[in-house]
Amino acid sequence: MLHVKDLSKTIEHRDIITGIDFQWHPGEIVGLVGRNGVGKTTLFRTMTNQYVADKGTVTIDEHDLKQEPAYQRQLFFIDTQYNFLGNYRLAELPDFYRLVYADFDADRYRDLLQRFNLTASDQYRQLSKGMRALVNVILALTSNAPYILLDEPFDGLDVIVRENIATMVIDEVADQQKGFLISSHDLNELDGLSDRVLLLKASRLVHDYNLEDVRAQAKKLQLVFAGKEIPAIVKKHSRLIRVSGRVLVVVFPDYTPELAEQLQALDPVLMEELPLTLEDLFRANLSQTAGYQLMQ
Amino acid sequence: MDKNLRRLLWRQYRKRFWSLGLISLLIMALSAWADTTTWLYHSKTTVFGPQMHQWLAFDATKLRFGSFSLYSPWLMFAFGLAGLVLMNQDLKDHFNQFLFTSGYRRRQIYWTKLTLGLGGLLGIAVVTTAIQYLIYWLQMPASVTLDLAWPGLITTWLMGLTTSIGFFAICWFAALIIGQTGALWVTLAGFILSLVGIISVNVPGFNLLTAQQGQWTEIGAWIVATIILAVWGAWLYQRLSLEHDGEYLLFPGLRWPVYLVFVIYVTVIFSGGFHVTTAGIIALLVTVIFGYLWLWRPKLTWHRTKN
Repeated sequence: MLHVKDLSKTIEHRDIITGIDFQWHPGEIVGLVGRNGVGKTTLFRTMTNQYVADKGTVTIDEHDLKQEPAYQRQLFFIDTQYNFLGNYRLAELPDFYRLVYADFDADRYRDLLQRFNLTASDQYRQLSKGMRALVNVILALTSNAPYILLDEPFDGLDVIVRENIATMVIDEVADQQKGFLISSHDLNELDGLSDRVLLLKASRLVHDYNLEDVRAQAKKLQLVFAGKEIPAIVKKHSRLIRVSGRVLVVVFPDYTPELAEQLQALDPVLMEELPLTLEDLFRANLSQTAGYQLMQ
Repeated sequence: MDKNLRRLLWRQYRKRFWSLGLISLLIMALSAWADTTTWLYHSKTTVFGPQMHQWLAFDATKLRFGSFSLYSPWLMFAFGLAGLVLMNQDLKDHFNQFLFTSGYRRRQIYWTKLTLGLGGLLGIAVVTTAIQYLIYWLQMPASVTLDLAWPGLITTWLMGLTTSIGFFAICWFAALIIGQTGALWVTLAGFILSLVGIISVNVPGFNLLTAQQGQWTEIGAWIVATIILAVWGAWLYQRLSLEHDGEYLLFPGLRWPVYLVFVIYVTVIFSGGFHVTTAGIIALLVTVIFGYLWLWRPKLTWHRTKN
């Protein structure tokens, strides 16, 4: 188990991440979401010792990575913004990775390059953004590290490649030997992948969602009321996702049978349940207000 | 030291070492050949003579025979350049990101990199000097006798190597604390040129020593400076946090010490020691203001209004 305990990092007198605390097991695909600049990449960089943490620890099976750095080889991360790969051809990259990751699978690396029509003699820096992201994922998978951090892995990839990667990630966790922590703005992609989502807000980890539990508790409804006024109970218990004329799309984070009865009692013109997506949760939790102020 | 770590570092640096080795070979071979064209000799000429029998570094200016070098000054430059490139390039190429996530202790990475660097450079120094000596030997007329003795040769090499390793340590350390390549070159050039000037013009107390004592004191000073910089560097490397990549100082905690050293060092140079002179006062004012602006980069009012 990987345990991030009370991890904090200040840059230029600003708290970028504060008191981050979570556990992560092999076999889990955890999503990390948050608005731009909230500290997702800083969290990854601090977890992997690129940034020296001001406070807190990262342990793998109770081994502190600072005291026993060899355990860091169980954690894989390629910084998408700053990495050394640009100077090398794709065929040369295993020379480095097999010296660090004892179980690096060079044959599979070659096979995956071929499968995605990547030429081994191409230089990494000459690749498009999407192709580079693909190579990063291939290196991550073939490293065979049990904990893999992927920072915006779907950024710049076309739909087919995205689907391929998502399938590979799901296949990898099937035997419970590997876990993924994936930061992404593409919430739709995470929706199909993650079992669990960590939500970063204002430098802190504000929610650790088990998506199954959340879906059991929350509801997304499309509502139309006869009057122009939005009922107080809706304002109080829900977050506005979208409004079009009198049609409201709202998320009730804690939808109870009592609340359902109260809504029915208002005699809405339309009350229809919609599938709840991760994006809805993201919007509902990250917007500063419930959204109704915009309508005033 | 871990074999895999050494292989990893060699994989990253090998092209640089081969390039530096080839350039050194070319420069040393050409300069050796150029030296041979300056030789003036007649039958029964003896090169070197008594100066090589003392524990003193070889002084080419005392040789009437022509240009001759037992330890090429190029090697000092090559050592300094390698120190700078080894440390700075890892920051610039983002290889540090990989090293810091590789599971090796920072201390281990630092010392492996240092010993690999110095080992490679020693190899380059030995091989290229051997080629240089070979060219001298092949061009040496039969009528000329070489009176080469161990004391002079050993002192020359010791002086050359300690100076080279000292330059390596200065450049290595500077590249460890400075995160901007252009500014690093300017800072180092200014520091090394002024240091060379100070050493050659006036080092307090040096005129009280004999030539032999002076040279051995210099060798000792280089060794002590190298050890201090290497150990201090190891301590800093352990604490290197990459969010400062691209800033002038990679360690914000060094801002005040660097500021004070800069102000005192430049002021002392311009005032010719610790005397109050007009040049010294001007240097003090300029360094105080320039150092502050450079290291703290305050946002000036006219910048804000422009934005």
